[in-house]
Amino acid sequence: MTRPGRLSVSRVVVVALTALAIYAPLAFIVVQSFLSEPFFLPDKELGLSAFRFVFADPDFHDALRDGFLLAGGLVVIAVPLGAMLAFLISRTDLPGRRWIEPLILIPVFVSPMVLGFGYVVAAGPVGFFSTWAHDLLGFVPWNIYSLPAIIVIAGLTHVPYAYLYISSALRSLGSDVEEAARTVGATPLQVMTAVSLPMVRPALSYASVLLFFLGLEVFGLMLVLGDPEGHLVLSTYLYKLTNKLGIPSYHLMAAVAMVLIAFTIPLVMLQRHLLRSAGRYATVKGKVARARVLPLGRWRVLAGAVVALWLFVAIVVPLAGVVLRAFVTHWGIGVSLADVLSVRAFHTVFEQATLMRAIVNSILIGVIGGAFTVACYTAIALAMHRKPDRVTQFLDYSVLIPRAVPGLLAGLAFLWVFLFVPMWLDRSLDDGWLSVLPAADWLRDHAIEPLRDLRSTIFSVWLAYSVVWMAYGLRLISTTLLQVAPELEEAARSAGAKPATVRRGITVPLARYGLIGSWLLMFLIFEREYSTGVYLLTPGTETIGSMLVSLWATGAIDIVAALSFINILLVVIGMGVALRFGVKLHD
Amino acid sequence: MIELAVEDLYLSYGANPVLNGVSLQLQRGEVVSLLGASGSGKTTLLRAVAGLELPSRGRITMGERVLFDGATRTEMPVEQRDLGIVFQSYALWPHKTVEENIGYPLKLRKVGAHERRERVQRILGQLGMGGLGKRYPGELSGGQQQRVAIGRALVYNPPVLLLDEPLSNLDAKLREEARAFLRELILRLGLSAILVTHDQAEAMAISDRILLLNEGRIEQQGTPQQMYASPATRYCAEFLGSNNRIEGRISAIDGSDAALQAAGCSIRGVANGALQEGQPAVAIVRVERIRLRSTPAPNSVSLPVSASMYLGDKWEYVFRQPGGAEADGFALRAYGSEAQVPQPCYLELPRESVWIFPA
Repeated sequence: MTRPGRLSVSRVVVVALTALAIYAPLAFIVVQSFLSEPFFLPDKELGLSAFRFVFADPDFHDALRDGFLLAGGLVVIAVPLGAMLAFLISRTDLPGRRWIEPLILIPVFVSPMVLGFGYVVAAGPVGFFSTWAHDLLGFVPWNIYSLPAIIVIAGLTHVPYAYLYISSALRSLGSDVEEAARTVGATPLQVMTAVSLPMVRPALSYASVLLFFLGLEVFGLMLVLGDPEGHLVLSTYLYKLTNKLGIPSYHLMAAVAMVLIAFTIPLVMLQRHLLRSAGRYATVKGKVARARVLPLGRWRVLAGAVVALWLFVAIVVPLAGVVLRAFVTHWGIGVSLADVLSVRAFHTVFEQATLMRAIVNSILIGVIGGAFTVACYTAIALAMHRKPDRVTQFLDYSVLIPRAVPGLLAGLAFLWVFLFVPMWLDRSLDDGWLSVLPAADWLRDHAIEPLRDLRSTIFSVWLAYSVVWMAYGLRLISTTLLQVAPELEEAARSAGAKPATVRRGITVPLARYGLIGSWLLMFLIFEREYSTGVYLLTPGTETIGSMLVSLWATGAIDIVAALSFINILLVVIGMGVALRFGVKLHD
Repeated sequence: MIELAVEDLYLSYGANPVLNGVSLQLQRGEVVSLLGASGSGKTTLLRAVAGLELPSRGRITMGERVLFDGATRTEMPVEQRDLGIVFQSYALWPHKTVEENIGYPLKLRKVGAHERRERVQRILGQLGMGGLGKRYPGELSGGQQQRVAIGRALVYNPPVLLLDEPLSNLDAKLREEARAFLRELILRLGLSAILVTHDQAEAMAISDRILLLNEGRIEQQGTPQQMYASPATRYCAEFLGSNNRIEGRISAIDGSDAALQAAGCSIRGVANGALQEGQPAVAIVRVERIRLRSTPAPNSVSLPVSASMYLGDKWEYVFRQPGGAEADGFALRAYGSEAQVPQPCYLELPRESVWIFPA
């Protein structure tokens, strides 16, 4: 491609809307952090007072320290385990590796809120497994509310992220280099440590940065598990700030958000850099051939046991907890499971309008919202598709920014957008510069109200979700579009088709299966999402995710369990459909 | 003394059989080539010997050691077989230097650092790459990478060296040099080796014995001279060398001789296989065996020349019967030293160089 892409009208519109959706909320966070009061109060002034207040708060320091401990612990636990798991599953005759693969993905698609809740009801002080352990041993040998335990749990549930990147690197690694090591006398373990893992070092360092980044963003797990003993990380500290001063302390939250973003933006840029250099490294790989799996021999049982233990702790324990808790009325020491089985919680859920609305909204936002999201991402991806110019470069970096803003913050920023923009327009139409418009009064009466009402529709949540997941979704879709061979597009051009006709007639139709696959993935991600909707939660915008966060605070365990169960059900259905149609659930 | 023996080996990928009862024996100090078209099973056989593929039946032994026995379901792990393998792609570890690549097998065998360094240097010297030990594989040329791969396979003195298409990744010029280098090295070090190749010139140049594989079976085996000069089957005759093929019917049989009646000519040749009068048959004549004469000679045909091609060291001519369609017309190829063929031109097919096989 040598010809620069032309600036067509449609491209300008797509780029402008995308930039607006990304930068407007971000601008709010930045501006708000430098105000002394929430933006809607009249006596605000510019300054660093919000930062001063936050930096003086000892809780903030604890949260910062624990946040880094958690992120570091995540790397230390998840990367080695993920690497080992990746090697065992993609290269060896580990027992049951075929059905372990889809299971590994479960913690990726089940909301951390649900997982955290699952740990509480399964292994908390009076959880199922704890009471059983108590009956057997006379005491409970663990305390999941201590910081080390939280770090271990977070580490184990984040193993799949490390696994996904390392296993895809291993799969594209030629088997001949491993066979060469075997033929000169290396055992499977020696092959792993001397050849396979050193050769996927770029993937290992990428996974480490990714895990550290995910560690800084942990919210749901910490909210649930950290609360009883008062452990905080930056995101939960920010959430607790909501009502610290009685009135919404937006300026303080924005200051914390700025601190968090100051750490995450460099990490996101570093990830991008590592991903690029990993691509370059791929050229010095061996030949990919069909290879026999490595026989583990006497290590087979031990390796199988380690993997089974991980599966048990990271998947079986929390999910079994949720499922059991959803079908009992209450639970405690001395309660027999058979006596308390019931579906009463589900009756309660189906009787309450808000909860039913949350379920319906969750399905709508996944199915219909997911489709609209894929359409929007496709439009953005086409605006960048095989057009290596400055506009593409600008978009390329811009879409990474929402990635650095944790969902909780993004939701907050969108709340501000929906509150402030109608307010500002209203004032401006009344006596500001927009009042010179001829129809100013009519606009005030007829346009501002619908704009305000947008906030209490599911549209606001959908927009926030779509922006938060833009980097992820765009990578899915641009990969799909790049699989259409350039000659096919060039042939259409030389046959006389305009660029827009080529996109409509060649590129998108050829990429349709990939686009449908992306739709399924967006469905799964939107079902899992919980933090983005927290601040946008009002009557009309309920989703299962945000309802879980708000119900958890009220202590309605039965309903939380039932909703969690429904959430897991939706995810399992989505994953089942995806696996049935051979959608690649990861790259 | 037999170094390595393969007995009646069977292997299939799913329902697709690849090896159908292959046997071979490798004597100490001997180099055997496995030659065959792609899909003939030659690489699979090598990988089965190495332990990288699992046969379904048969037996592989190395001296007293049983590497694989289908009857007792015993299989020795790859790393315990102590064979040296040179991979087609070389499979050098890109994150290790040349010295580390060659030294790694010694490290696995718990050889001390000092001795390891000495042995690596000795091998590098033998390979003529003394100064390149600190380089990474990515910084070497194709030929140098190949030498490192050979060094890595030789450094622990394995009794048998397995080479999988060792020259196929080199460009044509380099390939001839590497071929000579490999033959000299094998002779100098007295190696026993099995070499897989699809290139007959490579097989004939390097090995003491050739096994021609066809569809998972051994078609014929023997010294390069035997294989080239007296093929036992039509497949072998056609696989080796550059050939003319004449189709027709047997018109007469006289002891070991047969006469073939083809379109417009009659040729005598050596009968191979069970032939009967009137049966369709095919005659194979190596291109270089045809002689051009200006006077009629026994067993000759007269055809007009239709193309002459200059090959550098010689000329190649195509003779074609006039009138016949290009595709199915009777045509012969021959070599000569002049741009022009003699006029008139008779192509002599020496009787002993015409092999007649059943069609």
